[in-house]
Parts: sequence; structure tokens; C-alpha cells
Amino acid sequence: MSSRTGKPTIRSAAWRISLWATLAFALGTMVVFVFLHRFVAADLQQRSDAWLSGEVEVLGEVAGRTPNDALYGQIVSEVAKLAGRELPGATMSGRSVEGSVFFLQTGMDGALRLWVGAGRGDTHLQAIRSRKVLAGQPMDLPVAGVPVPFRVVSLPVPDGRIYLGLSERDELRVMAKLRLRFVLLWLLINLLGFGIVFFTTRQMLNHVLKISEAASGIGLGDLATRVPTSRRNDEVAHLALTLNHMLDRIERSMHQLHTITGSLAHDLRSPLTAIRGQLERSLSAVAIDEQAEQAEPIVSAIEELDRLTEFLNTSLDVAEAKADALRLTPSDIDLDQLLVAMGDLYGPSMAEKGLQIRIRSRGPLRITADAGLVHRLLANLFDNELKHLSVGCTVTLELQEQGQAALLLLSDDGSGFDPEVLPQLFAHRVKGKGSHGHGLGLAFVEAVVRAHGGSVTAGNREGGGALISLSLPVAFQPHGTLNVKA
Amino acid sequence: MRLLLVEDELEIQSFLRRSMEEAGFDVDVAGDGRTAEQLAVENDHDILIVDLGLPDQDGIALILRLRQSGVGAPILILSARRSVDDRVRGLEQGGDDYLTKPFALAELLARVRNLLRRKPVPGNEATRLQILDLELDLLRREATRSGKSLPLTTQEFMLLEYLCRNAGRVVTRSMILDQVWGMRIQPDTNVVDVHIYRLRGKVDGPGQPPLIGTLRGVGYVLKDR
Repeated sequence: MSSRTGKPTIRSAAWRISLWATLAFALGTMVVFVFLHRFVAADLQQRSDAWLSGEVEVLGEVAGRTPNDALYGQIVSEVAKLAGRELPGATMSGRSVEGSVFFLQTGMDGALRLWVGAGRGDTHLQAIRSRKVLAGQPMDLPVAGVPVPFRVVSLPVPDGRIYLGLSERDELRVMAKLRLRFVLLWLLINLLGFGIVFFTTRQMLNHVLKISEAASGIGLGDLATRVPTSRRNDEVAHLALTLNHMLDRIERSMHQLHTITGSLAHDLRSPLTAIRGQLERSLSAVAIDEQAEQAEPIVSAIEELDRLTEFLNTSLDVAEAKADALRLTPSDIDLDQLLVAMGDLYGPSMAEKGLQIRIRSRGPLRITADAGLVHRLLANLFDNELKHLSVGCTVTLELQEQGQAALLLLSDDGSGFDPEVLPQLFAHRVKGKGSHGHGLGLAFVEAVVRAHGGSVTAGNREGGGALISLSLPVAFQPHGTLNVKA
Repeated sequence: MRLLLVEDELEIQSFLRRSMEEAGFDVDVAGDGRTAEQLAVENDHDILIVDLGLPDQDGIALILRLRQSGVGAPILILSARRSVDDRVRGLEQGGDDYLTKPFALAELLARVRNLLRRKPVPGNEATRLQILDLELDLLRREATRSGKSLPLTTQEFMLLEYLCRNAGRVVTRSMILDQVWGMRIQPDTNVVDVHIYRLRGKVDGPGQPPLIGTLRGVGYVLKDR
């Protein structure tokens, strides 16, 4: 039987399902985020580029109109500083625009004419020189000594060139913030999702597990048990309901079978009892001591009646066992002791027929089984040997313990089973040529062994003679719960 | 001895009544549970024979109710079911006995007598059994006939002891199997007969009047007369 407790969570189906579901969700959201990220970054850049282009034109105009005197630098730097205040996101971030914007003007010779911004501007100029900055087209410009690159746009003015640079610091900060928040939220959502998926699937699968545990526990003895149902109207609940309906039907037909065999037994037994009683009474009236000839037909009628009763009992047992409906009353049996007793019981009859019997056992071997049925099973086997073996043969019984089972090997050195019946030895009413039995012997043996969760094989030995091997579980294992081992 | 027979099948009822009357019982008969309850409470019976398949109620329920209303006599349960269910087993442990149908009259009588005999007081049990000139020493497990020791095996001694304890009464093959070997089986071979045959060879020597009699179709009897 599968056990819920013995299994680590990591190997459970709920864990696997939630892991894969979460992984798929995480990957999906990650891809979506990457696209969003790119879109936002492009949009931010577009906005700063628009600002740069606008401002550089204003500055170009100012630079072109302002007379080239001592005040020129002051005016242009004021305008440049003012422009810096209108930065997109500058108010949002609330941080100083200091260092985030620079304005640079070069003369016709390319030398630095005017610098507005943090530092002295020569590193910026150097960076501009090393790259070709096209007029009107913003581009990235990494500057030595400044960790964040600038976005730079240039514009030719009558006496040189002006450059307006905007640090990508804010933009990068916004993106970093976005990423951080996304990752945190993403982790949170995935963890939460994993948890939810895990708990719901586990709950559902636990229900399935409970159903299968209950179902496997429903042996033949207790068909009245039902698998647990839930009030939810989902597929699992449906499964439980279907199983219960099926069990209802099985229980009904089993009950019907019991009723039929029960009433058949009752209806046959009552007249049999009456007949036997009358016969016995008339017998005692005829002869108490002497064996009168009149008594002969009555005697054989009684004997036939007893055979009929035994046949009735056995066929009902076989029928019930075939339908897995044989009721067992388990008790503790010492097979070794039982074999010795059987040997004592059958020994004289065997000797009378010129047969030898040998019992090999290594001492007590206790099993839990229905004592009445096991007695009848052994009697059946002994009766078979007694009826079919010819003078001088030996019957050997060997009892061994094999793991959790008791193994009983019965062999003889007679003529063995008729090859014609060999393939269907355990079938109902199969008997060899010249057999006077009712043909239920081995069918009964198999029925009893099966009902106890054991197995039986029969065949001919290589050297000749029959070999029947019975395996009965040591602990009581009614057939039906035996094979359910997860 | 007064006996209450609770059985609804008329044919079984009539032959059982006659047989029990012949065996010396005063027999009251009830065909259903209600009559049985009435009769059992009104009269004082020494033993009851109850069939489980009654028309109006469950036989076991009837027995339990009888016990509750103070009926203390031993009960022999007759059952048409093959497998004896656990409730019957429970009653059996309470001192009652059961027999499955069809049964041999001899067996029914033997079980009734067993139930009436009740348990002997421990220590007071006989250590010797004597039937005519046959003597059994139960402690030394020795048997003698006319003073001559009989060479019996353990199994044969047990068989002879059982026959002696039921001397003068018929015992069936299944009673012998049940009591001597402890098995409720119905072999379709003559295993019991061979044991009796061998025992007879040792007990009934040549020239001696035979002690072990056969009632063909019924069983065996150890003669005490």
C-alpha cells in the first residue's frame, strides 16, 4: 500500500506540477518584462532625445543672436542652466541637475570656447573629438572619469559648433528602479503562485491518494466501505462517486451471490437433513447390531447422501471462491503439527494400500488461515493420493518456510497426472480417466489457496509422478488486498 | 429431561421429535421464534435445539434474547450454512454447540448428551475407564482386555478412549475425526474405517466376543452389554 507519510514532498506529484507551472509562468512573465523594458527604455530615450534636439536649437539660436562679447558666455550659460531645469524627469527624481547636463561650444578650430557643466570640460571635449558627433543626431557618448554615458547632440553655429549633453543617469536610474521592483514583485508573485498551485494540487492529489488508499483497503471482507467523497463537484469528486457506484454494484452482486448460494444451500440442506434423518431412523429399526441384508440399500442411500452433501458443500465453496466471495475465519495453525496429524490419520489407509508416506519438515511453522478450510484442503490432497496411486508408491510431503510464505510440496512416484487434463487441472469438474471423484478436488484446493492469497501449481515431475506445490502466506492475506502494493 | 426443539421444517421437526422422544426426552416443539420464546420462558428446559433459519426472526437474535430473559440451559444450534459465522462461534465459546445440516442423528444425540453432561469437576475425573472386560488407564495410557495388555499406538489409544467414553452409544465418522483428530472434514476415502479395523484387530482377539460394533451407514459403537 502506498504511504503518504513515507514519501518526501520533493518527490510528490504536487511538487512537480507546481514547479513546472511556476517555471512556465516565471519564464513567460520574464519575456513580457524584457519587451516592456525595451519599450520603456526606448521611450525614455526618445523623450530625452526630443528634449535635446529642442534645447540645442534654442541654444543655437541664442548663441547665434547673442553678440560675441564678454556677456556672451554668461547669457549662454544661464540659458543652458535654465534648460537643464526643464529636464524630463528632473523634478520627478527631485535630485540636483548638477552634472547631468553640459553645454559645450567649440570654435572653428575645434578648441573649447565655452563650457557649462560640472568639471572643466576637457575630458568631454576629448570624448567628443574621439567620436564623430553628427549634427542633429543624438548619440551616446561615454566620457572618461564619468560613470554614466551622456546623450549628446551637436549643432553648427556661425563661429563653431555647440554641443548639448544630457547624462543618462536619470534614465538608467529609472530603469534600474523598474528592474528592481519588477524582480521583487516577480519573485513574490512566483512564490505565491507556487504556493497556491502546490497547495491546491496537493489537496486535490491527497484526495486522489485517499481514494486509492481506501479503494485498495476494500478487500473482500468489507465491501461495505466506500472511498471518501468531497462536496466539490470536480473531476476527482466524480472519480470517487464513480468508484462508489461501482462498489455499490459489486456489493449488490456479491450479496446476491451470497443470497443465492445461501438459499440454495438452505433449500437443499433441509430436505437432505429430513431424508437422512428418516433413513437413519428406519435403519436403526431394521438392525441395531447384526448386519441384516435389508439394511444394505438404506446404508448405501445414506452413504450416497453424504457424498451428495460433501459435493454440495465443495461446489458452493469453489463457486464462492471463484467469485472471491468465500468467507474465511482466520486462526493460528501449526502446519507442521497438522501435517503430522494428517499423516497419522491417513497412514494406516495408505499402508493398507501398500503406499508409503514421508513427511519432511524442519519444525513448527505457524500460519494464520481458516483452519477448517486448510484441513479440508489437506484431506483432499491425501484423498487424491490414496485414490489414484498404485501399490508400492511413495508420497512425499515437504514443508518449507520461504520468506513470508509456507511452501508445501507434495510429490509422488506414481503415474502422474493424465496429460489430457494437465492443462486444466484446476478447472471445475475436470477429472482424469478412471477417476471416481466428483472432479472438484483440485479446484477446491486452488480455491482455498487463492482465497488465502497464496498460489498453487500442479504438474508432473521429470522422473514421473505428480508434484503439487502450494504456497500460503504466513500472515493472513485475504485475496484482493494482496496485489495492491504501490 | 425436557427439551425444546425450535425448527420450522415440519419433516425435520417430526423425525427429530420422535428420535429425541425415543432417546428419553420430553420434547416441546416450536415452529417459530415467538412460540419458542413463550415456551422457553414458561417452562424449564434442560436443553434447547435451535435452528438458525427461522421464518420470523434470526436464530442468533432469538438465542441472545432467551439468554437475556434468563434461559440458562445449553443450546445446540442447527445451521444450514456451511461456513459457521463468527456469532455462532461466540455462542460456542459460551458453552453451546453447533451442528451443520445435514447431520447424523447419532451425532446430534452425542452432542446433546455432551452438553447435558456439562464440564466435569477438575480432579474428580476418572483416571480409569472400564467397559466389560476392557480397562483403560488414562494416566499411564495403557489398555488391557481380560487382564492382557493391548499394544496400542498413541492414536489408537485416543480412539479407543473416545469410544469408551461413549460406550453403548453410536459415534459417527465425523465425530471421531472431530474429537480424536480435531478436524471437521468429510474424507471421501475410508480413513476412519481403517483405523477402526486396526483397533478392532488388537482389541477383539480371536475367541473373544467383539466389543467394537459397526453400524453401517451410521458409525461405530463400543458395546457395553
